[in-house]
Amino acid sequence: MDGMAETPLVEFRDLAVSYGPIEALAGVSGAFLPGPTGLLGPNGAGKTTLLKTLLGFLDPDRGMINAFGLDPTKEPLGVRRRIGYMPEVDCHLPGMTAAAFVAFAGELSGMPRDEAISRAHEVLYYVGLGEARYRTVDTYSTGMKQRVKLAQALVHDPDLLLLDEPTNGLDPAGRDEMLALIRDVSERRQMSLILCSHLLRDVEQVCENVIVFNQGRVAASGRIADLTGPRRAVYDVRVKGDATAFLTDLKDHGCEWREGEDGYRVTMSDGAGPELIFRTAREAGVQVRFLRPGAETLEDVFLRALGHEAES
Amino acid sequence: MPIYEQTYRRHEARGPLRRVRFWPITREALRLILARRAFLILLMFSWLPFVIRVIQIYVITRFPEVSRILPVDGRLFGDFLGWQALFAMFITIFAGAGLVAGDLRTGAILVYLSRPLTRRDYVLGKLAVLLLLNLFITLVPGLVLYLLALGLAPDQFWKWSLAWIGPAVVVDSLVISAVISVIALAISSLSRSARVAGIGFFGLLMGLEITRKTLYAIYGRPETALVSPLGALYSVGVALFDLADRALTLPWLYAAAVIALLSAACLLILRSRVRAVEIVQ
Repeated sequence: MDGMAETPLVEFRDLAVSYGPIEALAGVSGAFLPGPTGLLGPNGAGKTTLLKTLLGFLDPDRGMINAFGLDPTKEPLGVRRRIGYMPEVDCHLPGMTAAAFVAFAGELSGMPRDEAISRAHEVLYYVGLGEARYRTVDTYSTGMKQRVKLAQALVHDPDLLLLDEPTNGLDPAGRDEMLALIRDVSERRQMSLILCSHLLRDVEQVCENVIVFNQGRVAASGRIADLTGPRRAVYDVRVKGDATAFLTDLKDHGCEWREGEDGYRVTMSDGAGPELIFRTAREAGVQVRFLRPGAETLEDVFLRALGHEAES
Repeated sequence: MPIYEQTYRRHEARGPLRRVRFWPITREALRLILARRAFLILLMFSWLPFVIRVIQIYVITRFPEVSRILPVDGRLFGDFLGWQALFAMFITIFAGAGLVAGDLRTGAILVYLSRPLTRRDYVLGKLAVLLLLNLFITLVPGLVLYLLALGLAPDQFWKWSLAWIGPAVVVDSLVISAVISVIALAISSLSRSARVAGIGFFGLLMGLEITRKTLYAIYGRPETALVSPLGALYSVGVALFDLADRALTLPWLYAAAVIALLSAACLLILRSRVRAVEIVQ
């Protein structure tokens, strides 16, 4: 990418936002570059608060936030005009067909009525609701409601799309379709987006960059490839015998471990291989009954980041 | 064909924002409300007093002796608008109870407020829905009735001494419509259920009116109208149309103060409730 393309769309510095006595964002700093960026973190980490501050819904206690060179607290309309927001919660107007609803959303964004209507039909076809566009949204399934939410966010062709938990409530097939659609918006249509999710797999499928939030702070940020790579070797291990000493020794050798579904997931220290596991097991007097190489997923990186955050 | 293979074109045009940004909100809400047949019947029914008054004016022109029983001056319009205030209340329950409550329930409030719209635009858009409907059953028939009265009974109405009726109809219609609309909208914003908001609105207005009448029966003082919005509206009507002995009703200035305070309180409720972020302490 050239220098121009790397100019951040959104920047925030020392941003603190509170809900009464509860501090939701505790002086966070970061930037969203053009392209897809993931906003990761457990529930209550401050992701949605950041999006709502970006939309000008919340006034920061301190710090600055800037989108497209505009301050959302001073020029919220200018910012919102260039943003498409797909909220986490269900949102529709009772009694309205999808076509009317999306056209209405376009009009609210400042589009002339005729243009909004024609654009609504296009966007509904794009998200796969072309055949159902004259049905009232109240009668839609959860998956269809998610798609109509995406359509209303896309209708005015925003410069930045904010997607708050877009795969909520979807079955695996629906989730894959939604993620494919989001990837298409980003890759082929060159639209920048912020994908806010607690599902690491979703973010990993769509985004290049990620900002990890935890307890109102930025726990990690950067390109996913940089954050996770070179990825360390990971093994799923099951042992027979008292594993306490084995796990302690592994930690002493610079490895990290956590309990997996059936045994332990061990992230090796840099350069270490499976022979270290066997050697440590022998020294600790346990038998290795199962060893399977795995790849360090974003989930591992995420948990590692949260762990380091907690330790610090 | 997978959905992501389907067409999507960038939309390049981005003109200036509308000056009246709230109009699409009003238009779409009106379209949804007017699509309900029961509401249209109620709307037509609310013009019934207009028909009765037209007949009254016609009868007076044919049989002048009837005017001894029925008033043929400003009181005719005051009484008419008094009845229309009741219809406005029912129209408002039907159309207004769910205006904000529905958006809070379905999350649609975020659809509005994540757009280039302010909270004021949203409130104005919703308020305009109720104002237009209420003016349609107060101001429009009131002015048409006045014009018909001028045409049918010029002897009674075509004189300088009654020239104030036209402006009085406008003022009373605006006051009735605005007060009822803003109260309904505020109550709608306090609930997520249109039914609860409707019952709350009706219960509040009727409950306070019953309280006013009870207090009046006990103490016999016009100040009892201070407790009831309908009582305050009636006092304004009395002042505008000389409906009753003014000594027995609340002075219009007090009534106006009650109405202003009530409206301000409703706007404050709307200001705190119409938000994209609900803060639960």
